[in-house]
Amino acid sequence: MANDHTTTRYRKLYARLLRLYPKPYRERFGESMEQTFNDLCRERAKAGEGLRGFVLWMFVETSSGIINENITFIIMQNTRRLIVWAIVAALILAIPVLMQFTNEVQWGEAVAYCVLLLVAGGAYELWQWLKTRSSAYRFAFGVGLAGALLLGWVNGAVGIIGSEDNPANLMYGAVFAVGLIGSLFSRLKPRGMARTLFAAALVQVLVPVIAFFIWPAQVSWGEAGVIGVFIINLIFAMLFVVSALLFRKAATKQPPAAAGLGGLTPASS
Amino acid sequence: MAIQSGGVFSIFKYIRLQYIRGGYILGRMANNNFSAPLTPAVLHILLALSTQERHGYGIMKQVESDSQGKVKMGPGTLYGSLGRMIDAGFIRDSDKKVDPEMDDERRVYYAITALGRKALAAELQRYDEVVALAKRKTLLPTTHAYGK
Repeated sequence: MANDHTTTRYRKLYARLLRLYPKPYRERFGESMEQTFNDLCRERAKAGEGLRGFVLWMFVETSSGIINENITFIIMQNTRRLIVWAIVAALILAIPVLMQFTNEVQWGEAVAYCVLLLVAGGAYELWQWLKTRSSAYRFAFGVGLAGALLLGWVNGAVGIIGSEDNPANLMYGAVFAVGLIGSLFSRLKPRGMARTLFAAALVQVLVPVIAFFIWPAQVSWGEAGVIGVFIINLIFAMLFVVSALLFRKAATKQPPAAAGLGGLTPASS
Repeated sequence: MAIQSGGVFSIFKYIRLQYIRGGYILGRMANNNFSAPLTPAVLHILLALSTQERHGYGIMKQVESDSQGKVKMGPGTLYGSLGRMIDAGFIRDSDKKVDPEMDDERRVYYAITALGRKALAAELQRYDEVVALAKRKTLLPTTHAYGK
């Protein structure tokens, strides 16, 4: 009886160990491996042989297989990704080395280079992830991102309401805040992203309206005046609305399980 | 195996296929090139499956019996090899069925394929040539395999 109890415990422990295999491998062989382990335990028990040393060997042998299969799985699935990040890491590590030979690069610049390299790596990851989405989702993401980047660039360079120094332009931060918070809360799922982009478009239109009430004299865009401010805001709002509509289209096409980061599958290399 | 065109990624793919544990078998098998030796685990599994299809535990016991207890394979090695052999087309897995001798759970059975038989034949031929060479050089010990 006690022997049965010990065997059952070992079987449970072995089943837990098997969970450490990569998922595809586990789904393919997990059940068979458990059966084989049970067969071997039963055979030892029938022969009246001790289990402890045998089980220890099984666990060590299987652990070695787990390490090998995980390494193989990571390399097979992520060769391209590993290369990209190895290049990014090598370039980042090269910066302090180069600084030993030249005074041209200051620490502030070095940090900026590092950030740029990490952004490049992040852009690669983003592209790999977008490749797993539908074309509607990709277009939606592209239009939304382009709108946000253009808004930041135009607002930072010349300002939308008056000059770039006008504090009213800071209100456009609300558009970015809505986009960021909405994306995080929706976990990039298309339906949530559609709502987020609709909200961003609404905020985009509300900013000049509010500014018009608070700073009526300053709401002007070059020679186009007040009308120019509203037109340019409507153009940005349209971009966000187009993005939102595309996200909504993507939401109707995608199965719920794959809609969002939860459905992320590594890109095949 | 020649590196096909495709730049740095092809080179990495080549390295990956050649040097990952057991993976070099895949690289070789993909081209039906049987000139390089099989790993001992793969050879013993092919030998065990050469007479009849077997489930995992059955393969283990047959390998142990064939090698007179000298080769003991754990589940980690066995199923890792089986996975690579299936991918290489050496063996195939069948639907689950009950082992009449064990008569309990349904199990997945593995069977050797034509490609697997070809690989086994090529490997045995290679062994034969090595033994012939050893005989010519009078290097062959008077003992049988596995020290008996």
